[in-house]
Amino acid sequence: MFDNLALGFATAFTAENLLWCLVGVVLGTVIGLLPGLGSTTGVAILIPLTLTLEPVTALIMLAGIYYGAQYGGTITSVLISTPGEAASVVTTLDGYQMARNGRAGSALAISAIGSFVAAIISLALLMTIAPALAALALNFGPVENLSIMILGLIIVVSFAGGSLARGLMMAATGLLISTVGVATGFSDARFTFGSIDLLGGIPFVEVMIGLFAVGEVLHQIRVGAAAPIRTRFRDMVISRKELKKSAAPILRGSAIGFVLGILPGAGSTLASFMAYGIEKKVSPNKANFGKGAIEGVAAPEAANNSAANANFVPTLALGIPGGGTTAVLLGAFTIYGLQPGPLLFETQPALIWGLLVSFFIGNVMLLVLNLPLAPVFAQMLRIPYGYLYPIILLTSFVGAYAVSNNMFSVLLVLIFGIVGWVMKELDLPMAPLVLGLVLGPLFEKSLVQTSALGEGNFGILFSSPIAITILSFAAILTFAPIITRRVVAARRTSEATKPKVDAAS
Amino acid sequence: MTAVSRVAIGTSVLLALIGIGAVIGGLGYGVIEEDGLIGPGFLPTLAGGLVAVFAIGDVIGRLRAKPTLSEAEIILGADAGEVLAEEKAAESDIDIFGRDQKQRTRMLVAVLAILIVTLLLVPVLGFIISFALMLLAIAIFVEKRKWLPALAVTAAALAVTYLIFVVLLRVPLPQGLIGII
Repeated sequence: MFDNLALGFATAFTAENLLWCLVGVVLGTVIGLLPGLGSTTGVAILIPLTLTLEPVTALIMLAGIYYGAQYGGTITSVLISTPGEAASVVTTLDGYQMARNGRAGSALAISAIGSFVAAIISLALLMTIAPALAALALNFGPVENLSIMILGLIIVVSFAGGSLARGLMMAATGLLISTVGVATGFSDARFTFGSIDLLGGIPFVEVMIGLFAVGEVLHQIRVGAAAPIRTRFRDMVISRKELKKSAAPILRGSAIGFVLGILPGAGSTLASFMAYGIEKKVSPNKANFGKGAIEGVAAPEAANNSAANANFVPTLALGIPGGGTTAVLLGAFTIYGLQPGPLLFETQPALIWGLLVSFFIGNVMLLVLNLPLAPVFAQMLRIPYGYLYPIILLTSFVGAYAVSNNMFSVLLVLIFGIVGWVMKELDLPMAPLVLGLVLGPLFEKSLVQTSALGEGNFGILFSSPIAITILSFAAILTFAPIITRRVVAARRTSEATKPKVDAAS
Repeated sequence: MTAVSRVAIGTSVLLALIGIGAVIGGLGYGVIEEDGLIGPGFLPTLAGGLVAVFAIGDVIGRLRAKPTLSEAEIILGADAGEVLAEEKAAESDIDIFGRDQKQRTRMLVAVLAILIVTLLLVPVLGFIISFALMLLAIAIFVEKRKWLPALAVTAAALAVTYLIFVVLLRVPLPQGLIGII
């Protein structure tokens, strides 16, 4: 463990990696801050820029964008009640109220501090759990890998929100898209319709740039720009009393965030909502929630940061992305020629530990940057979206071209941009589609291996205790939300009808 | 039934058809090989079948749809859901530039048309010039900005793009028939 940490520090503390880490977190803050430009989009359109960097440097920067965006998203939530990131939506409830009461400084300070504390706690947990999980996963055969992938898909679907059928539909669509082209192990070209460009399959960086960047731009054009509200900063000082009040919520938020973040697909958005909900229940200060309670900012901000780090547990240890952004990052791994999965811990220790240590450095940078400079970042909000989106479009297309020096990639970005826009308008979840697409080839490989192992009989899935455990967990996750939703809905209706009964009697 | 839900049902029906098409295609590629192992058609058939089943399920679900509680409402209580919904509704009103929904939809169509024309122009004019025209067209015709600032922003954006991608990353962007940049 300590050898690994030392190796990580040695890797992360080179001048080049420190510089790119700083570039990543600053870009991340800005990207998180700008409405309509989230961390997934940011990472997707910036991957092409990192092609000439060392893989570890590139990943340090891209990851910096990811967790930097969690800090940036808060600034807009507090100041103009427009979350830059989905994970910051719940922060608008109390953060914006605090800003209106002239306490914007306190709100921003507590989210920076809360995020930092959560980041350190979750990093320590990430460094402990991920290698252990990877070591365990190394013993997995194709049967266990197949069940892990099924679990991953199910979890993403069940946490994507909205209808289960729609999530499953998108996951299956992702799998289907992944089958285009010549599959490894087979010689047949599938669904290429005679096109040479499609022989190599549909590359997912282009798909992601299309879905997340171009699709988002098209969606935003239709939504229109919201009116910015200016808040004045009197001070960025936070009182000792406020700090004391926030300590427990930050710790609870970190714990909730980590647990939810570790599940593939649950992600930071759900974690922040959950942390807020729980804080609202346990707080002695219940009445103040929604009116500018500092706990209502501290807990969800800690939770979304903690979840962002925890997302790397399945991503690094199992090669199954925790969320949309980690799915894109996983795509980046393959572009640099790295096969994500448990083997990385053995074959690329410098890369893995350098990356993990860089999270620590990046979070220190973010704390130092955000405490005094949040008002400066907020100036970015004056850039009108009308100037921004043509540049996002330009960057998306030129970036896509740069990935494979091919106009076909540019065309794919446009097609998936339109697909992404339609999905946004119809509220179809994107994470399951992306995960299906990323996992498709691995899924097929384990399917082939499993069928070979069982000599054509998939009953072999039920001969491994580990696989059975994982699959039953998947089954529970599929059906539990349906049941709880029914129960909650039933309770709501009974509560709603009760007063009427009283009134009648 | 709203226009959105009609489009949603149409999309799901389309996906169901694609799924069925994939199953037929997959069966043609060979699902199970002679030795009992799975063939190249297995995953396409499986994925296509799942797409079709879930898409049909979605169509049925939407046809019998009743309002359900969202994730946020379950966790935060119904009030929070209302607050978020109100914010969402407020967003779709007239924006800061005084554009209503119809105008913004027209903008979207215009941007899409400009993008398609841009891609068609790349083989003729080259990448940089085509995208410069795209930025100008969006700034002037869609966003209705003045010529001079639009030109300045376009020139700056393209200069940075050229520096980063062509000079620094050495990406061979298509030069088109003109062949200068």
